[in-house]
Amino acid sequence: MKLTRRSFVQSASAMVAISSTGSKAFAQTTSIQIGFMGGLTGPNSSFGIQYLRGAQFAVDEIRGAGKAGPAVELVPRDTQGDPTKAVNAAQEMISRLKTNVILGPSGTGESLAIMGIMARAKMPNLNPTSADAIIDAAKYPNAFRVAGHIAQWDEAVRFYCTQILKSKSIAVIGDNGGFGTTAVTQTVAALKASGIQVAYQAQVDPNQPDLRPDLLRAREGGATAVIVWTSALGLATRMMNARAAINWDVPFVGHPGLGIGDILRLLDKPSNWENVYIVTNKSCCFDDAGKLPSRTEEFVQKLKRKNVQISDSTLWWIGCGHDSVELMTAAVKETGSTKAEALIKYWEALGAFPGISGDFKFSPKEHNGLPTAQLAMARANSQKNGCFTLAPGYS
Amino acid sequence: MSGMAKLSAPPGFLQRAQFTFSAWPYVLLLIAAISLPFTGANDYWILLATRMAIYTILIMGLNLVVGFAGQLALGYVGLLTIGAYTSSVLVEKLGVGVFPALVIAAVAGGAFGALLSIPALRLRTFYFAMTTMGFATIVSQIVLAWQSITGGGNGIVGPVFPAPFDAANGFYLFCLVLAAICTWTTLNLSNSRHGRSLLAVRDVEVAAAANGVNKNVLFLKTFFFSGFLSGLAGALFATLQSYITPDAFTLDLSVLFFIAILIGGRGSIIGPLLATVLLTLLPEISAPLVTWAPFLYAILLLVIVLLIPGGIAALLDVERRKPLKTGRLIIPQPVYLPSVLDNPAGAESIAMKQVELRFGQIRALDGLDIDIKPGQVHGLIGPNGSGKTTTLNVICGFGTPQQGSLWIGDRQIPFGSPSTRVSLGIARTFQTPKVVGEATVLANVMLGGTTLGTATFMESLFGMPRHRKDEKSLREHALMALRVVGLEELAAVQAERLQHSELRFMEIARALVSRPRFLLLDEPAAGLSPAEIERLGDLVKEIGRHGTGVLIVEHHSDLVFRMSDQVTVLNLGRMLAAGSPAEIKVHPEVVSAYLGV
Amino acid sequence: MSQVIFFSIVATGLASGCIYALIGVTYNVMYSASRVMSFTAGQYGMVGGVVGALLIQNLSLPVWAGLLLTLVAGILLGIVTEIVGVRPVLKNLEQHLYVLSTLALALMIKQVAAVEWSTEPKPFPRVSGIDTGIWEEKYWLPVVALVVVIAGLELLNRYTLMGRAFLAISEDTFAARALGLPERNLRVTSFALAGAIGSLAGFAGGQMLLAYFDNGTMLTFYGFIPVALGGLGNNRGALVGGLALGIFQQAATFLVGGVFASVAVFLAFTFLLLARPEGLFGNSRKTRLV
Repeated sequence: MKLTRRSFVQSASAMVAISSTGSKAFAQTTSIQIGFMGGLTGPNSSFGIQYLRGAQFAVDEIRGAGKAGPAVELVPRDTQGDPTKAVNAAQEMISRLKTNVILGPSGTGESLAIMGIMARAKMPNLNPTSADAIIDAAKYPNAFRVAGHIAQWDEAVRFYCTQILKSKSIAVIGDNGGFGTTAVTQTVAALKASGIQVAYQAQVDPNQPDLRPDLLRAREGGATAVIVWTSALGLATRMMNARAAINWDVPFVGHPGLGIGDILRLLDKPSNWENVYIVTNKSCCFDDAGKLPSRTEEFVQKLKRKNVQISDSTLWWIGCGHDSVELMTAAVKETGSTKAEALIKYWEALGAFPGISGDFKFSPKEHNGLPTAQLAMARANSQKNGCFTLAPGYS
Repeated sequence: MSGMAKLSAPPGFLQRAQFTFSAWPYVLLLIAAISLPFTGANDYWILLATRMAIYTILIMGLNLVVGFAGQLALGYVGLLTIGAYTSSVLVEKLGVGVFPALVIAAVAGGAFGALLSIPALRLRTFYFAMTTMGFATIVSQIVLAWQSITGGGNGIVGPVFPAPFDAANGFYLFCLVLAAICTWTTLNLSNSRHGRSLLAVRDVEVAAAANGVNKNVLFLKTFFFSGFLSGLAGALFATLQSYITPDAFTLDLSVLFFIAILIGGRGSIIGPLLATVLLTLLPEISAPLVTWAPFLYAILLLVIVLLIPGGIAALLDVERRKPLKTGRLIIPQPVYLPSVLDNPAGAESIAMKQVELRFGQIRALDGLDIDIKPGQVHGLIGPNGSGKTTTLNVICGFGTPQQGSLWIGDRQIPFGSPSTRVSLGIARTFQTPKVVGEATVLANVMLGGTTLGTATFMESLFGMPRHRKDEKSLREHALMALRVVGLEELAAVQAERLQHSELRFMEIARALVSRPRFLLLDEPAAGLSPAEIERLGDLVKEIGRHGTGVLIVEHHSDLVFRMSDQVTVLNLGRMLAAGSPAEIKVHPEVVSAYLGV
Repeated sequence: MSQVIFFSIVATGLASGCIYALIGVTYNVMYSASRVMSFTAGQYGMVGGVVGALLIQNLSLPVWAGLLLTLVAGILLGIVTEIVGVRPVLKNLEQHLYVLSTLALALMIKQVAAVEWSTEPKPFPRVSGIDTGIWEEKYWLPVVALVVVIAGLELLNRYTLMGRAFLAISEDTFAARALGLPERNLRVTSFALAGAIGSLAGFAGGQMLLAYFDNGTMLTFYGFIPVALGGLGNNRGALVGGLALGIFQQAATFLVGGVFASVAVFLAFTFLLLARPEGLFGNSRKTRLV
């Protein structure tokens, strides 16, 4: 997504704040340095931009409230989704900027490259990326996940296809990136293990212009549902268009990226977006009565009052950024320290931390913070203020 | 004679005229780099420095291909990918030790690098550039698709070195040492006949061939070595990243490496070295730069190409901007000829028999017989289009006649294959001087000794004794040849700064270096002043007297008559007349067809 | 293979093939006037898509105005290419510096699009009203564009003085100069023309390729293949090569899957080129010996 002037100014002012205070060591309880790294420009930057938006909003809230307590600084670094830059940025935050925590990154490739570095430096990490391997309480005791991960998404999606849509033959199509590869492999294995027929599986290049061959093969294989594991906008829309072109009314179930607003303009006709369901955080969904959970509704109002852009967004991404900052400041407040050991101990003892994107719960053995029950399926084309309507048959 | 005075001056003179190699920038850089961990720099700077060292390894190799050989290899990230994945897969999936995996990864890079030499030899510049881009894309696609081995889009963990190389400082020093060694080897190569040959192939391929450079073999070795370094860099990169995924190996990275060499300066070593440091640091210094970094690199490239083609190296090279003496005279000193042409005179002649060369309907040569006898100056004259230069070209292996044969003594030599001629004792100059502009006069002349050297590519890389012996004796030999043609004062000057006439004499010096039995001169007097023409004539006559057979193609018939022992007149690809100058001068047909009244 | 799949391959293959062929023609037009191969060819295509989307979709201009201004953008870029990337380096043609200068320009164009437009593919609007069932605009618009361009070039070369001047320049620069042809102006004009053709290709292909900043690199490569196969300067060869490439690519995608399809394309291209460096229809260039 475009580097908007707002986000640029925000990051620039954060940078100015950082550079003006230099790299002096901060007295532990007078200031909290929160580092954020992720793709803000470059491919697949929408998640990073929205996550940062939420984090910045939380920091502004704290400053605005003028409460007594440590000052909070947010230091962003744009990695452009490049693992090389991610490694540089991680090391910079550890050694030069000496942040107290790192939020992010925004992509799997970046995460995979920096988990080791952060663990060795005992740098606390609140991580929203989805690869299963990056969270391991034994290997990376410093890292905590603040969103769902692939195994959970896979479970939710399969549940919906098999139990709600009652499909017995499923096609699994993903892109050939990190997420797509892992997700497709995982889903296919799980489906086969539970005795469901895999009608067709494929890893598709996101720039492939015509998806009809793949969908036709899926149809020939007898699929009654198609699981779509890609966040690539072009690929998702082409699949929906191809589905309409071959007159196949099969449900698409999959990645939250299938709900991005831009899709509407890429579609041949809006109705192509029907019968598409995405896995998302339940906390940011409208129930049957069209209402959001109260905490979320409050958050939406707060954002609107401050003119933070939320139309055409995915609210739980913004919420996730907000929650990450809250998790950090709460930890510092409760333990009176910014030291890594204290923070980690606090998080591991959390019973149910009330966040916007979900209620987080960690334990010494489990560093994945979002319980699977907090995921839900929603209608992809129902986005309003970043929230979606729950899918039919799903509560 | 002025030459006498010069004779007594050799030692200091030699030092001055030596191909001056300034070591201090490298030493300074190395000292700064080594001391970094000891200044208490934090891990962030060590990381950046390690990255610089790793990129340096690749860029030193790429420099040979792009900067020296002039091949626009835009897709080298493919070799980086191959090195990275080879070492990672070997260690992670096959349990191979880290150090053996490092070497194997480098060899894999070398093998694929060598493969790239094939399109480099067959295809034109732009086509080759595209092919390398295609290669890089193929590599990344295969890595993505071959999930079982490479982990596909999910990547694979990079190799971990044993202590002390697993710590930031330890690994940094390891990479630094490797980078220093790689820089040193490329430096050695640039000061060897292989390096000079690469430059010659890049700028004046025809002259390279005429001086015995075998382009195919040279490219194969160069590309292998370059790929080897890239593979090595890739393996180290995998360790630095600790986990590699395909999205780290972008075409942008490839272009970055490429631009580093152009910005640094082709044909230079220190330039690309400094450029690497600069380009690695640039995005780290300021955050807004990250977004616009590719744009800045492109502008830098454009500015360099348009305004400072020599790059950073040209900016640094103060030596070469010092003004030259004006009003220089070329005063050959044939008295030194014996020290240059110190091989015993042969008794064989070159004979061309009944050669016919047609281009479509045009008969460039129409049944021509000609002999070049040792110790004789043989002039070849005739109107434009009579086939003079074509004759010379055919003898030198350029152009393949449809009929006829070519002999040295009683051995028949094949048409074509120009790079074999020098070993047969045939050397030549060109109608328009073909020199490597950015190299010194001395280096240009040393090109003539390409076939005299015996040090192999490997020996040159590592500065082995045989290489150093070769270089020393070749340098002295070339200097002597420059003395012969009267250009020794300009030995350390960049060739492109020379006047046209000086370039002509320089070409003769280059030809003399190969100790030729036969010297073929293609219109050597064109553009020379009358005084210079006279001195040229004296020089050529002396060369003939020393036993070398000389064929001189010329338009200046007076010059030809004065210095030749034998003259052949061509017309329309055929011999019109042949004989002594006196005979030809008054030959009726010659006078009417060519000389005029 | 069912009929639908076959039709899909043909329709998509032809459409993308036409886009590639048009970029090939862009290369040829630039080459004919200057002996220079420019890396910017694909970027003109990308600009056609991006500027078209910007004008018609974001700024709500009428289609004809959007098309016109898109062509103007292409023309301007072509002229800039000539002035900045080609003219200064013409004297050292053997040094191949034009490869570097045009590469630099291409990178700059791409980066500006990435930052100012977006790094995500954005939708491209429908431009004609004609769009039912299998006759979707994204399949026939590129074909129409190619036909228009090829026909236009033929008319230009055969019936106008300028066209014949172009031919003269490409045949023999020195002779043309000796005849008094304004070499430089003709060169600028042909680069402007190339820019227009390239941006037309991107505009016509917008529905298929989307308005995406990275299209430039892809088109630079895929648009080069028809030129390499068809022979440099040979527009008919580019046409055949482009269509063949498009169909081959789609068939490969269907038969072996997207990833292997691009590998197949690159490998086939490399081997063909190594076997016939001048292209399947090209003439071997003879270099002056000495």
